[in-house]
Amino acid sequence: MLDHLLTGRLLFVGGKGGVGKTTTAAALAVVAAARDRRCLLVSTDPAHSLADLFGRSIGNRETALASSLWALEIDPDQQADEHLATVKARMKRLVHPRSFGEIDRQLDLARQAPGTMEAAMLERVAEVMALAGDQYDQVIFDTAPTGHTIRLLSLPEVMAAWTDGLLGHRERSARLGSALRHLGGGRQKGDDLSLLESASDYVEGSRDDQLNELLQTRRRKFVRARDQLLDAAVSAFALVLNPDRLSVLESIKAYETLTRFAVPVTGIVVNRVLPTDAEGAFLDARRRQEARYLEEIDRVFSRLPRVRVPLQPDEVHDMETLRRLGHLILAID
Amino acid sequence: MARNAGRLARLKTLLEEFYVTPYRGALARARRDEDDIFMLFVFAELMGVPNPAAYYTLELQPLLLERFHEWHRRQGLEHSPLDGFRCC
Repeated sequence: MLDHLLTGRLLFVGGKGGVGKTTTAAALAVVAAARDRRCLLVSTDPAHSLADLFGRSIGNRETALASSLWALEIDPDQQADEHLATVKARMKRLVHPRSFGEIDRQLDLARQAPGTMEAAMLERVAEVMALAGDQYDQVIFDTAPTGHTIRLLSLPEVMAAWTDGLLGHRERSARLGSALRHLGGGRQKGDDLSLLESASDYVEGSRDDQLNELLQTRRRKFVRARDQLLDAAVSAFALVLNPDRLSVLESIKAYETLTRFAVPVTGIVVNRVLPTDAEGAFLDARRRQEARYLEEIDRVFSRLPRVRVPLQPDEVHDMETLRRLGHLILAID
Repeated sequence: MARNAGRLARLKTLLEEFYVTPYRGALARARRDEDDIFMLFVFAELMGVPNPAAYYTLELQPLLLERFHEWHRRQGLEHSPLDGFRCC
C-alpha cells in the first residue's frame, strides 16, 4: 500500500523522537536495495543511531553496507569547519599578516553562532539531495525530530528568497552604474561613489562578478533543493507515529506545517500497534486506549495511504529483521 | 567657420553638463545607497543586527573587506564596529 514510497528519488522519514523513524527508514532502504535500487540512507539527526542499528561504524562519508546499500551520518560540525576554513583562507589573501590572528578569532566566534550548525546541515543535505537520480536511484533521509526537520525543509525556500533579495540589490546597483556611464559618469571626479566597484577592481578582475557568482551558486543550490522537495514526482515524505496521544498530536501539527510549505506528505506509518493476538488484562486496557488514537489517525489522515505495523516480539537488529519489517511497512506478504 | 564649430561644440558640452550633472549625482547616490544596503546585509552581524544567513554571507566578506572601512565611516561609525578588526 505504501509501495510508492520506494519509487521516487527522495524519501524523507519523519516524526516525533522515539517513534521508530530510524528503524523505518533503514527497513525501507534495505528493501529498496534488495530490489537492486542503489540506495543511500542518510541520517540528519545530530544524535546518529544508524551505526548502532547496523552494528558498524558509518560516520560522515558514504559507507557501503550491502549490495546497492550505502549509509551516511551527516556531521554538521565538519561541514562548518570546512566552510569557515575556506572563508579564512580567502580573507587572509586580502589582508596584512598582522591581522591573521584577528581573522581567526572572529571566524572562530562565527563557528559558535546560533544557526551555524543548521546552515551547515542544510548545505550538506542539499548536496546529498543532488546525488539522487545520479549516483543513487534513491536517497532516504532519516530525519531529526519533527520541528527540526520542518525547519530544514522550509529553509531552501526562505534562503532562496534571501539570496534573491541580495541579488536584487546587486542588479539595481549595476543598472544604476550603467545609466551613470551613459551620462558620462565615472570619469568625472566625485561621481565615483560606488562602494563596490572602483578603479582598483578593474585591475584585480571584476570583484562584482565574483560576488554575483557566489550568490548565484548559493541560490542555485537552494532553488534546486526546494524544487526537488516540492515536486511530488521526486520527493515523498512519510510520517511515522505511534498510537499514543503525544505522537498523534505532534504528527497532526507536522502534517499541517508540511502541507503549508507544500511538501508532499505521501504516507503514514503507524508503528508499534499492539498485535491482536497479545493477551491479558493489561494489554486489553492498553488496546482500548490505542483504539481511540487509531480511530483519530484514520480520521485525520483519511486522505493519505496508511499502514499499521504491529509491535514486534523481537528487536530489529540485522539485515534480515530489517527486511521483514520493510515488507510489513510496504504491506508485502 | 571652424572657429564657430569649435564654439558650438564647447557650448554643447557645457549645456550637457548643465542638464546632466544633477541626474548623474542622483544616480550615483542611488547606486551608493543600494551598495550600502548590500553591505549592511553582509556585515549585519557586526553591527549587532541578527543576520538569519550569517553562515552564507561569510563567504562574501573576503570580497568586500577592502570596502569595509569606507562603508562603516559612511554609516556614521568612526571606528570599525568589528572589535579587534582594526581597519582604522
